[in-house]
Amino acid sequence: MIELDAVYKHYGDKLAVENLTLHVPGGELFACLGPNGAGKTTTIKLLCGLLLPSRGRVRVGGFDLQTEGDQARRLISYVPDQPFLYDKLTGREFLQFTADLYGMEPAHAARRMTDVIELFHLDDFVVDLTERYSHGMRQRTVFAAALLHEPKLLIADEPTVGLDPKSIRELKMLLRRLAAEGMTIFLSTHTLDIAEELADRIGIIHHGQLIGCGTLDELRLKSEDDGSLEDVFLKITESENNGHPASEKLSPSLTLPAR
Amino acid sequence: MNTQARTFRKLRVMQSHNALRQLLATNPVRILTILGTSLFLASFVFGLSYFGFHELEDNRVPFKGLIVSGLFDVLFLTLGSMLLLSTGIILYASLFTSPETRYLLTTPATADRIFASKFQAAIAFSSWGFVVLGLPILFAYGIVAAVPWYFYPLLPIFLMGFVLLPGAVSSLACLVLMRCLPRNRKQSLMLLGAVVGLLFGYWLYRTGVSAKTALTSAGGRDALQGFVDRFALASSPLSPSHWMTNGLLAAARGELRESVRYLALLWSNGLLVYLLAAFVSARIYRKAYDRVSDGVRRKRAYGGTGLDRIMESLVFYLSKPTRVLVVKDFRTFRRDPSQWAILVIFAGLLAVGAGNFNSYYTADLDTIDKYIVGLVNLSGSAVLLCAGLSRFIFPLISLEGRKFWILGLMPIERRQILLGKFAFAATGSVLVGWLLVIGSELILGLSLDGLVIHAISITAIAIGLSGLNVGLGAYLPNFRETDPSKIVVGFSGTVNMVLGLLFLVLTLGVMAGPMHAAAVMKHFAKNLEPGFPVWAYAGLPVGVLMAVIATVLPLRAGRRALETTEF
Repeated sequence: MIELDAVYKHYGDKLAVENLTLHVPGGELFACLGPNGAGKTTTIKLLCGLLLPSRGRVRVGGFDLQTEGDQARRLISYVPDQPFLYDKLTGREFLQFTADLYGMEPAHAARRMTDVIELFHLDDFVVDLTERYSHGMRQRTVFAAALLHEPKLLIADEPTVGLDPKSIRELKMLLRRLAAEGMTIFLSTHTLDIAEELADRIGIIHHGQLIGCGTLDELRLKSEDDGSLEDVFLKITESENNGHPASEKLSPSLTLPAR
Repeated sequence: MNTQARTFRKLRVMQSHNALRQLLATNPVRILTILGTSLFLASFVFGLSYFGFHELEDNRVPFKGLIVSGLFDVLFLTLGSMLLLSTGIILYASLFTSPETRYLLTTPATADRIFASKFQAAIAFSSWGFVVLGLPILFAYGIVAAVPWYFYPLLPIFLMGFVLLPGAVSSLACLVLMRCLPRNRKQSLMLLGAVVGLLFGYWLYRTGVSAKTALTSAGGRDALQGFVDRFALASSPLSPSHWMTNGLLAAARGELRESVRYLALLWSNGLLVYLLAAFVSARIYRKAYDRVSDGVRRKRAYGGTGLDRIMESLVFYLSKPTRVLVVKDFRTFRRDPSQWAILVIFAGLLAVGAGNFNSYYTADLDTIDKYIVGLVNLSGSAVLLCAGLSRFIFPLISLEGRKFWILGLMPIERRQILLGKFAFAATGSVLVGWLLVIGSELILGLSLDGLVIHAISITAIAIGLSGLNVGLGAYLPNFRETDPSKIVVGFSGTVNMVLGLLFLVLTLGVMAGPMHAAAVMKHFAKNLEPGFPVWAYAGLPVGVLMAVIATVLPLRAGRRALETTEF
């Protein structure tokens, strides 16, 4: 579903993403980790087509984001860390706008709106203007809108920020169920517990490079640490900081970008 | 209409409907204020225009048709140029920096559809004031000139057609510039701004020289023609402002076919450029967005400078926490190149002006000419202050926006916040005003009486305008908008701008008017004695009182509004 091939992204002189190669198959829940400023959000923006790669190729569902972006974006839903809602629309109107934007049939859109309103417990406030929503209410509404058109790829940046414990629990169960049903999910998060609990594979980005990628066990092997994901993550990123590229210690079975 | 166009239209209808319903339910007084103020402004503009056109008609001024045509040409050229600039700035902010477009660009919304949506919003934002203020002027002309009935329904169609063309041109320029500018676009934009500023400065210089020749030499008709020729662009057959003038005047004369021909010319050209811009946007908008996000981001360590300490010492009379707020506003101002770059252009224009004054000086002007030039200088400086304060000071409270809770939680009274912003505005504008007026009039060699009266006038105007801008900015804030240019051209910004202009015209008339009248009387009486009669100074206390009222009333209203603001 996701194909990033030798992707570079420059911000002026700064290299934000360097030679990133990553393939995520359909139905996989992939978690992307990395310190602040590592290049996670840039990678997400490249996947959404918001930014274009300086070099390399980004494909989603077989469509090249650079040349077939409109088709690719029909398959994608993006939930940013700072959710955007129109202040002067109600939650229901925003859902309707999303359904119209994705060209959904009215009857199907109405059914799906009922489903997502129930799924994210929006009933109590869905007819209020979104300017009155708390961060958690906004996040739930944005998730509802993102899943309304049943995307093939869901990209979420820090999806649990602002949600209460019950909503986090429900969201985690939902994400697992969606992945099991075939939806590809690309998460970017600092909450290592969520990555550890949910992800099929985990990628660690540092200084714009993918320095680790695989299941938790594969990452443990790579870091030569049997601890939690937190221990593994810190060990991999610190060894990179100390000038010992983690790739030197990689198991040959893991696919990592060419340097 | 395709599906996405329908979706965006529905979005706009829903947003407007909800906003209006909410306003009616929660704050009907605000709607009444908006309607009342609009009506007042429209009536004022109508009254002033009616008086002017009536005087022209009653006094049987020769070539009055030519004068009206020239006035309309210059009016529409000026407004068109302003629309060109304001639409471009608004469109840049909404296409490249707004959270909404960041969201829409991740959806299947096509690039040209996003562009079209933002273009319509930018046009509405930048031109509603033009339409609302333009209609009373043209209505006044229609009544005085006893035009046929169809002149009136044609007016809004002409005005809407006219705003389309500059809007479309600036949107096209905005897209192409953002797509094609080199990576170091800040420097490139500044270079472009400097070139435009220099060209404008050169035009201003040539106009000044022509005006001087027309006023001071015995060049007569040729000199006057030279001055009029400076505005030839406005009356060029290829100028849209001229199409607008010709179309409206043709309708006024009863030549409907000719009028509709110009109307078609305006609309067809506007729509053609708009279509071209939409076509271009479909191909380059996403690439331009990517390029804007690509900008050079060099690390830079920021810190306090001597300028901050000077600013703090200038407001020594305030409490320490209020001084901290003043320095915060000053720091924000000096770190935003889009703000001080405009000041650099102002400084360039000032240099051109000083060059002109110098040439006046060497031309050994007659005393009365010095007073005329001095009055023009004072008026120009006052207008410059009005524009600057409206652009930079009025949006200050609104720009606190969603961060207002930071100020709200500070151990400082809200009236002190307002006082700090007023002190910042008044200190800066008084200094700039003195520099512009006293500096240039010393070069001009104006009498001491004239210089003192002008200095007091500009001080009163600077302080009054500061109070008006800070007070109204707090009374009519727009906490949801993050783009200052949208706040300035919005309803409250336009009301503030017009009230500011009204205040400065009245203050100038009351404070400097009598002295200049006395100077004219002395000139015709060939009275060479220094000084003026007492009545020439009589307007000063009235002007000071007006400045106090313009400061206190808006600040009081703003303080009340600010104290009840929830965050």
